[in-house]
Amino acid sequence: MTETFILFTLAGTTYAVRTRDVQHMEMVEEVTPVPNASPFVEGVVFSRGQVVPVLNLRTRFGFERLAPDLRSRLLVVQSGGRTVGLLVDSAREFAGIAADAVKPPQDTLTGLNGRYLEGIAVLNDRIVLVLDLAAVIDVAEPLAQGAKETV
Amino acid sequence: MPGAERETGRFSDAFLDDYFAECDEHLRAIRAASLRLDAGLDAGRLEPAAVEQIFRGCHSIKGLSGMVELGEAETLAHELESYLRTLHEGAHGITRPGVDVLVDAVMELERVIVARRDRAAIPDVSAIVARVRAIAAGGAAPHVPTAAAALPAAAGRRWQAVYVPTPAMLERGVNVNSIRERLQALGTIESAVPEVAEGGRLAFTFVVALSDAEPASAEWEPDGVTWTRLANVPPARAEAPEAPAPPAAARFVRVDLARLDDLMRIIGDLVVSRARLADSLERMERHVPAAEWRAAQEHRTALDRHVRDLRQGVMRVRLIPVGDVFDRMVFVVRDLAREYGKTVRLELHGKATEIDKLLIERMMDAVLHLVRNAVAHGLESPEVRQRAGKSREGTITLRASTVGDTALIDVEDDGQGIDAAAVAARARAAGVEVPDGALDADTLLELICAPGLSTRERADRGSGRGVGMGAVRAAVQEVGGTLTLETDPGRGTRFALQLPLTLAITEAIIATVGDRTFAIPQAGVSEVLEIDPAAVRQLENNEIVPYRQGTLPLLRLSRVFGVPEAPRRARLHVFVTGRGAAAVGIAVDRIVGQKEIVVRTFADRFIKVHGVAGATELGDGRVVLILDVNALAHAGEMRGVR
Amino acid sequence: MPGVPRAARVYFETLAAQRCVLGVTVTNILVVDDSATIRRMVRAALQPVTDARFVEAETGLEAIERLAFAPVALILLDLNMPDMHGLEVLRFVRAHTAYREIPVLVLTTRQDEDSRAAALAAGATAYVTKPFAPAALAAEARKLLERGGVGAGR
Repeated sequence: MTETFILFTLAGTTYAVRTRDVQHMEMVEEVTPVPNASPFVEGVVFSRGQVVPVLNLRTRFGFERLAPDLRSRLLVVQSGGRTVGLLVDSAREFAGIAADAVKPPQDTLTGLNGRYLEGIAVLNDRIVLVLDLAAVIDVAEPLAQGAKETV
Repeated sequence: MPGAERETGRFSDAFLDDYFAECDEHLRAIRAASLRLDAGLDAGRLEPAAVEQIFRGCHSIKGLSGMVELGEAETLAHELESYLRTLHEGAHGITRPGVDVLVDAVMELERVIVARRDRAAIPDVSAIVARVRAIAAGGAAPHVPTAAAALPAAAGRRWQAVYVPTPAMLERGVNVNSIRERLQALGTIESAVPEVAEGGRLAFTFVVALSDAEPASAEWEPDGVTWTRLANVPPARAEAPEAPAPPAAARFVRVDLARLDDLMRIIGDLVVSRARLADSLERMERHVPAAEWRAAQEHRTALDRHVRDLRQGVMRVRLIPVGDVFDRMVFVVRDLAREYGKTVRLELHGKATEIDKLLIERMMDAVLHLVRNAVAHGLESPEVRQRAGKSREGTITLRASTVGDTALIDVEDDGQGIDAAAVAARARAAGVEVPDGALDADTLLELICAPGLSTRERADRGSGRGVGMGAVRAAVQEVGGTLTLETDPGRGTRFALQLPLTLAITEAIIATVGDRTFAIPQAGVSEVLEIDPAAVRQLENNEIVPYRQGTLPLLRLSRVFGVPEAPRRARLHVFVTGRGAAAVGIAVDRIVGQKEIVVRTFADRFIKVHGVAGATELGDGRVVLILDVNALAHAGEMRGVR
Repeated sequence: MPGVPRAARVYFETLAAQRCVLGVTVTNILVVDDSATIRRMVRAALQPVTDARFVEAETGLEAIERLAFAPVALILLDLNMPDMHGLEVLRFVRAHTAYREIPVLVLTTRQDEDSRAAALAAGATAYVTKPFAPAALAAEARKLLERGGVGAGR
């Protein structure tokens, strides 16, 4: 079975989320910061009449935080009854990925990202990391940059 | 949700929502009629119209419950119907125990239906059914005189109204039901007879006893009604006047509350668009011929008016009279009085006050709790009252009213008042800091709402749900309202709830802190001050400023939110929230203005931040956070600002 | 129609004309019950067995008003209504030439034997007890629609 995914980039790496989880995508305009929120909550935006929290995926995955630019995108996703915006570097492609093309993340892939991945796929010689959306937006504690995870 | 029922595939499953809604209407009518029956009994007579109404309601509920296969409700309704039939036919007189059983049974019936609605376990009704059977079978009761039927109309007051329907009128919405309702508003309908005349024409002949003078014939003509005054002869048989028409269900439409929420949201969008339009117009002034611009401004003003009317119209749709909730209280109080051995009279004022349905639902538990407290702890036992020179019967007063955009609900008792010293002692024992000296009402309220002080409530039946005073205040604050206390030892206590009528649109003050803009709901602010920064004093690690005859603790928003403060300003703007000893001043850099904002709440755990209640969009496209000043003030307290 | 006053004849003919608009027979079923929920259930139960249109009345008076302006092929009548008891509506229907032929299916309460007997005596074509099984109601209604006439009332 092939599903459609939206591909986006983050610090040079390509990630994928299922289109059926993505409500819509927009350019990043002003994000209103929310004081005393978690460090990787960029703030809130208004999207289609709803107040949506914005998760900065860079900080979430332990990358350096950069100011959003013209290529940055906000992916408004839905998971577990919640609507959350994901702030990413760019997002332009759609791709169909067959279910059996997604391999589980190997043990050799250490680091924070391993925990948030459903699996890894290879598209035309490009490595695409398929996100486990629920894990990404399920925030327990902020993880410091570069920390190694013990599973 | 509805319709996606468990897979029994029952035909009636698709009608469950209708069932619940219709039963709700019947139960409401039954409750109101029970109250009349009760009042009649107090006055020593039986109200036949009330009995009839309860009888019909139970009969309807029985039939409906049978159709949806809710056996417990069907059985209980059937027993009630039988009992009421004996009352109706005069086989039995009405007694106090009879009314008590009736009331208990109706409450149980409602519980059964609610259980089905909430998909909870259906309570066992065998006990209450037995009680109803017993009271129905019980021997002849002392005969209670029936309330005299309304006297035949005084001379000159009886009229005949003949209504002839036509297809054209039916299309307009004029039909025999609407005509009958209008007639009922004018007086009492003695009879209504349909007739087909010679030419096949249908006519309805109503005989009406008018309470006022003459009917305005000219007004009725276009609707096909002709009036004739009747001779003064009263009807041959002393017939009881026609029972009140069924609750005019035909005129009402059942609306899913979710759709009303959608409407409110769209109106919120409309308010924002309107604000944006106003901004654009302002900016355009220089570039457009004066006459054109003035015309545009006029249109905008008209639009403002329409949007305001529309908003009020939609809000009104969600309003229901508070009397429905109050009626329930009568039965609750009766139960509680029995439980605590007190004699209680409940006075209700402002039953017609209309409040948003959602607001009422959220507040119901809180008000119930206050009433329970009043009966359990506020009112003294009859003996104690008598010794104190008071009437043996205690009085609890429930008042509802609206003032502008605010609803006010009062719960008052004439009991013993709150013993401040005892509360203070208990608080100190629980480790809560209590200021020395006499406690003012606001501090007292703080103490009784503090967590951990509800030991007495835990001992009460049914308080296992943990509804303490703390929860009451939290519920009030959650909807943006305030709770105040007034108490007089030996004389009584009064809790006042002030609730914003609208959950979605509110007046707010816009302020800046550093480079951030925030909105503060007007309702939470009691005063706005301008203070000379030099007047701020340090007290341990807190700041205070002189205020009225005393001092006011100061909370700088810049510090609370970690926002860099603007360079030293000439004046500090301070919002005062709370009253008396609980007042706290919240300092901002600048107050920009006042605006009507649409409140968009958010609850996602990412952004559930203390002190932030939601967000709004100012007309110029900026998204601005809405502050919860109450929460901020208390946060300040927790850090020992006092 | 011999013996019928001219005006009445015109009235009947108008009804007949309504019935045959554009050559299509329009059938109406009149559902009379003070409960909106029950009316909805009756409609839902009967919809599968007929393509008739439904006309609803909440009170006895309204039912009579409806009858005057729409050709009705079948009446479903609840007995226990607050303003005008179903039996009175039934008697009215049977008393007037214009409506006498319409089959009437009465909805009675399970335990109420007397009402059942009274209804049949007053001219009800058939009865169904409440709570009714939708299939039973539908079957009975279809029988009456097909017969297209009033039973002996016995």
